[in-house]
Amino acid sequence: MSRLIDVENLTLKFDTDEGRITAVDNVSFSIEAGEVMGLVGESGSGKSVTAKSLMKLNPRNAIYGEDTKVTLHLEDGPVDVMSLQSPKDMEIVRGGAISLIFQEPMASFAPAISIGDQMVEQLMIHSSFSKAQAKEVSIEMLDRVGISDASSRFGQYAFELSGGMRQRAMIAMALSTKPKLLIADEPTTALDVTIQAQVIDLMKDLVSEFGMGIIFITHDLGVIAQTADTVAVMYLGRIVEKGTVRDVIRRPAHPYTRGLLAALPTLDDIEAPLTPIPGDIPSPLERPPGCVYNTRCQELIGPVCTQKIPEFSQVSADHKAACHLHDPQGGAA
Amino acid sequence: MSDKPLMTAKGLSVHYPLRGGLFGPKPFVRAVENVNVEIAPGSFFGLVGESGSGKTTLGRAMLRAAPISKGDVTFDDGEVAYSLKDLGKKELQDYRKRAQLIFQDPYAALSPRMTVRDIIAEPLEVMGLTNSRAETDERVREIAAKCRLNVEHLRRFPHAFSGGQRQRISIARALVSGPKFIVADESVAALDVSIQADVLNLLKAIQQDMGLTFLFISHDLSVVAHVCDHVAVMYLGRLVETAPTRSLFSEPRHPYTRALLSAIPSLDPDDRGKAQKLEGEIPSPTNPPPGCKFQTRCPYAIDRCRVEEPTLESAGTEHFVSCHRWKELAE
Amino acid sequence: MTDVINDTLQDQSAKEAYFTASQGQLIWARFKKQRAALIAAIVLFVLILSGVFAPFLSPYDPTIAGRDKDYTNGAPQIPQFCDVNGCSPRPFIHAVKRERSMATNFRWVTTIDEDTRLYMKFFVEGDKYKLFDFIPMDTHLFGVKDGKIHLFGTDEDGQDIFSRTLHAIWTSVKVGTIGVLIAFVLALIIGGISGYYGGWIDGVLQMITDAVRTVPAIPLFMAVAAFMPPEMTAEARFFYISLILGFIGWPTLARRVRTHLLAERNQEYVLAAQLCGAKPGHVIRKHLLPSFTSYIIVDLVISFPYMVLSETALSFIGLGLKDPVSSLGVMLQKATSADVLLNYQWYFIPVIFFIALVMAFVFVGDGLRDAADPYGDVKK
Repeated sequence: MSRLIDVENLTLKFDTDEGRITAVDNVSFSIEAGEVMGLVGESGSGKSVTAKSLMKLNPRNAIYGEDTKVTLHLEDGPVDVMSLQSPKDMEIVRGGAISLIFQEPMASFAPAISIGDQMVEQLMIHSSFSKAQAKEVSIEMLDRVGISDASSRFGQYAFELSGGMRQRAMIAMALSTKPKLLIADEPTTALDVTIQAQVIDLMKDLVSEFGMGIIFITHDLGVIAQTADTVAVMYLGRIVEKGTVRDVIRRPAHPYTRGLLAALPTLDDIEAPLTPIPGDIPSPLERPPGCVYNTRCQELIGPVCTQKIPEFSQVSADHKAACHLHDPQGGAA
Repeated sequence: MSDKPLMTAKGLSVHYPLRGGLFGPKPFVRAVENVNVEIAPGSFFGLVGESGSGKTTLGRAMLRAAPISKGDVTFDDGEVAYSLKDLGKKELQDYRKRAQLIFQDPYAALSPRMTVRDIIAEPLEVMGLTNSRAETDERVREIAAKCRLNVEHLRRFPHAFSGGQRQRISIARALVSGPKFIVADESVAALDVSIQADVLNLLKAIQQDMGLTFLFISHDLSVVAHVCDHVAVMYLGRLVETAPTRSLFSEPRHPYTRALLSAIPSLDPDDRGKAQKLEGEIPSPTNPPPGCKFQTRCPYAIDRCRVEEPTLESAGTEHFVSCHRWKELAE
Repeated sequence: MTDVINDTLQDQSAKEAYFTASQGQLIWARFKKQRAALIAAIVLFVLILSGVFAPFLSPYDPTIAGRDKDYTNGAPQIPQFCDVNGCSPRPFIHAVKRERSMATNFRWVTTIDEDTRLYMKFFVEGDKYKLFDFIPMDTHLFGVKDGKIHLFGTDEDGQDIFSRTLHAIWTSVKVGTIGVLIAFVLALIIGGISGYYGGWIDGVLQMITDAVRTVPAIPLFMAVAAFMPPEMTAEARFFYISLILGFIGWPTLARRVRTHLLAERNQEYVLAAQLCGAKPGHVIRKHLLPSFTSYIIVDLVISFPYMVLSETALSFIGLGLKDPVSSLGVMLQKATSADVLLNYQWYFIPVIFFIALVMAFVFVGDGLRDAADPYGDVKK
């Protein structure tokens, strides 16, 4: 496997009326080709913002940190995404090397242009296809994602499709340019469970077929367990734990991940009581000092938790957690 | 507790007329069709289904917030008994005190222009349940404390609160008139997992504390499994299966219930791809298929299913299923 | 350490203030952050005040009654403290002499008499007027002893342009207010019925609204102007103009009221109130009206400059208000002749005020609109 993208020290703040809000705080990760990385977190964890930063797709009031570095490894050599400025330069990333699928596919299709025409238009920007070729590829792609009778659906509009079909069409559009990295932002959240299962299956098939890397953003640990190879758990803009999906879900090392798993209702033991994480997610304006999770943590080990931001420490071979519990120096610092 | 059910729906149908149809008969949506269900007092009754299954409409009909086209719903809490189909003005007002709704979206459900105190006090004032402002305040404070709201925060406006806190305000408003029956419509769906458990536990505690009966509407089977004692599954306006929670989850009889259960993504990463996949999507309620409503997606459908609509039959203690082939499939 | 505690205390009370702030307070807090809108609001306030107190602030009656027949088409006179004869602590102007003779080719020629000072006086008695149209007074803020002062000069009849400008602002604000109020009442009734009841009533009312919107304004104005008898009094004319503006302005507002009601009617908190058995009266009073007052205020402020512009345009093309009434349109009309353009540029001074008034309204309206949605970015 080859390295696809390296994200180092990604920090992102927003200037708002109420003050400067830290949305992403010093986040680093990398993805290999063919890897599915799950990015889990609750509202306000900064998971979507993180993913969008990889394409510099954030509103104007966004301020990137100075040592933020995003490197995309393409065939023609590495691309430093942060240095891209003009929309023309951005074409390499946006819709080119990186594609995006949203939670609500309705919002990503122009209502007055047919789905096929949008796919053709996008293909012609990012490839050297002729119009006829682009159409052929689009129909093939629609067919591939399980849209029956693709050639007649080609001329339909987004509102004519059901939610599940729309999400399939969105996936077809995102994949038609053969991206190296696919960012799927809660792609199944708005769907019913039975449809969600279909879409997850489809995405798994496509990964093995196209071999691209995927960042799968969701709040649902079950979906992560079913799709991802590696997981990063985010809380208030920081990654608190990352590792292989088996390690993180079976042996969660960070108290937040443990809390999330305990709060999650599962069908394995329906008599088991649900254990909520006490307190509320703090507003982004009130980021706690020290470890961001210290206001709700059940396993505080002392003043160090409220004073010092924990570094990542190795829990096992491919498993890291940013928690003082796992710090080799313990609470001594 | 009496043995008489608190809520009984008999042959309940809710049809909505559709716009258009200037010529010929007006088309309508059969949102709920011929539903029979009993909810025992003091139970936490789960109602499960995908979007378009009619679960919200059924809940609204039980609150007389949706028109009852056919059949009836009766309410009997031992003090009074009402038939919701023909409820007089006075009776309806009294029924409003006894049956309340908790919404899904904690943002849309609270008026941004009222303080928390005013929001919770509104039902009291509208229904004229208290005689003085002091009494209202007293009652509001009592119920707010019960819902674990900080009494100091009653002067605040909803914009000061997070989703979980807003949902607790919403719960307090529903409880303040002292109802017997509460419909909770996807009341935790919009909340984060870590908050969701907290609100569920609160609902559970309140139910036991105040002896309430809940109709808990949800699309999430795992949530329902944890909080409800009885579950009904809906598909395209019909009740397909109803049973005590344990029996439904250990022995699901209807192919749809089974498919729903297996579609829930398992937390075990090594348990991938075992799920039994359901093809296709839920048909439109304006144009439902003939026979069994599930036949278009059912892997076990036979000719009979395409012609004859099944009815609920007993499949165990308090377990009812509406499928022609459930017996064969159980073996 | 105590600093830290003080900081958190302060922080806490600031937060509590934010949490307990009503919608109005949140809008105001946001509005204050927009500098352009705030400055515009101050300008607007000053302009409106000067309009309200126009009879007091202006030294002379703006009509022909207050004319200075010895100083027609006179240049602006700027009060000064010093001249060739030295300085004085009191501001003064110089007296002027006018002459028309063979020597001047029978044109009026004005010469400034540098030796005669006319000192400014404050709170002088002058033309009688009624403040707020009912308090009889004759005190004016300023004037000069023996003679007249014309800060912005005079027009061809010798009417004081400064006095006329102040009165014109007042006229424009009055026409605008009446027009907006009529439009608003109509919009509220028609849009309200349409939005609250929906269904076929909505359909019919929307058809009517659209029909009114398609009526072209200028031909309608011309028709109405032709219908108004020339001997009509200035007041009646004024009233009719406001009425027409109101009748033309309502459809846009009505549409917004309707859309807003339709959206708000289906809000879950409205359903919650209905499920408590709340009657329509309670729902309208407690939920629907408060929900759109802020939007309506914004709409009113934004539609105001259009009223002022329409009045000005009407008067300018001679279909609206006519001379004895001072309005910006009437005054603009006078500034169009070549003679004025070449020789009497001070006729244009009211234009500056007119632009300031319209701009101030637009900026305040925009600022309010941006501020009126305090929940815009709190909700994700």
